[in-house]
Amino acid sequence: MDVMGNIVYPVAGLLGLYGFVSLASLLWEGIDRKLVARMQRRVGPPLIQPFYDFLKLMSKETIVPNTANYMFRAAPVLALATAIALLAYTPMGFTPIMASKGDVIVFIYLLALISFFKIVGAISSGSPYAKIGAAREATVMVSREPAMMLAIFAIMWRLGKLGVDKPFSMGIFYQHNIWEIGTPMSFVGAIILLYVFCVWLASEIEVGFFNIPDAEEEIAEGLLVEYSGRYLALLKLTKALKAYIAASLVVAIFFPWGITDYFNLTGLSADVVNLLFHTLKVFILLFVVESVFRAVTGRLKITQAVDFLWKNVFLASLVGSLLIAMEVIM
Amino acid sequence: MRAPILVPTVLRNLARKPATNLFPKTEPVPVPEDFRGQLRYNVDKCVGCRMCVTVCPAGVFVYLPDIRKVALWTARCVYCKQCVDVCPTGALEMSDEFLLASYDNGDDKFIPLKEEKIEEIRRKLEEQKKAKEQAKAKAEKK
Repeated sequence: MDVMGNIVYPVAGLLGLYGFVSLASLLWEGIDRKLVARMQRRVGPPLIQPFYDFLKLMSKETIVPNTANYMFRAAPVLALATAIALLAYTPMGFTPIMASKGDVIVFIYLLALISFFKIVGAISSGSPYAKIGAAREATVMVSREPAMMLAIFAIMWRLGKLGVDKPFSMGIFYQHNIWEIGTPMSFVGAIILLYVFCVWLASEIEVGFFNIPDAEEEIAEGLLVEYSGRYLALLKLTKALKAYIAASLVVAIFFPWGITDYFNLTGLSADVVNLLFHTLKVFILLFVVESVFRAVTGRLKITQAVDFLWKNVFLASLVGSLLIAMEVIM
Repeated sequence: MRAPILVPTVLRNLARKPATNLFPKTEPVPVPEDFRGQLRYNVDKCVGCRMCVTVCPAGVFVYLPDIRKVALWTARCVYCKQCVDVCPTGALEMSDEFLLASYDNGDDKFIPLKEEKIEEIRRKLEEQKKAKEQAKAKAEKK
């Protein structure tokens, strides 16, 4: 068995990615806070404020409620572990480390699992506010995922028709992308799906309309109400990682182009340059979907959000998927 | 949905300078002319008429009958300026000082008339009294 190729290099790559993405996603949070502050004509915190916040939370006393059971302590760790594991399947400018046939299911599963662990941690705390937040999180989660799953499966199936060696793999986007299909119908479909994915991304990272489970003003921070100290720091880091990962998916599907071909780079340097360029694209996408969306809208009610996700986004996903699939079906 | 109308505003704001005052780095926003800040007490002008004790809603003043002055603790002050308006001699006035944070409620800056000063006035009064009595005694002797 090839120990180096199968174990050492993937582990090293995963650790490297974890280090990089932690820094990049926390940095983005700082940039986002600064940008939103400037949009409201405030100065905003320094760019590395999330790092200070993280260190401060890490050094604070962690309080565990009397009513909490063991999952309250386990959930933040498991959520972060899931997010780190997810990095191995996330396309970040290059084919994911663990890319294999059909790993899109793993990606979707792990992404949903992060929310699931947050819910489990919240309902284990014994606080009724956290339970309301958990109920909302679960409601939004089941409403947002079908639209994304339908769209991503349709896209992967359509790209698989163009001929790839590993169908339904997260690496597929770097072999073909949906703009290559080239018919007017597929182009319109891709635009509609871009809309679907932007809304999905906003609901995944809970900004703007979808800042419902953590609604500070109504249910006192919702899911996170009982968390403090180290556990809160882990959950905040998980949230930042998740934002980066979810945005990475959208970037990989719709804007997978790299710049290494123009510089004739190969091997490791190509991967590094692609990763940096990918990070830039993620930041630009998050600027539109997170910062601007957060600055211009308030949140919806939970019933309105469910209505919006099913009647608007899911329908758009259906239409877009059909348009993408059209010339193969007919 | 009415949200998109905010997008141009938000993006325009992004290019503008922040409309804030970076306080510890710069001067605070200047106070207006009739600003009611920290209360100042001029002991020498005070005649001990007790008007401020009557009018104060927060109980800042305590009358000291032996020296005919008032002791005051401005940490309780609500900055209503009634004592200033009612004071016949102008011994009380509002300053424009407003950075009054302190670690200690009994900080010196909240007590314009200190204990030592009170003692000093008391002694002075005593001396005056003695001087008067001596003068009286002398006058009687003659």
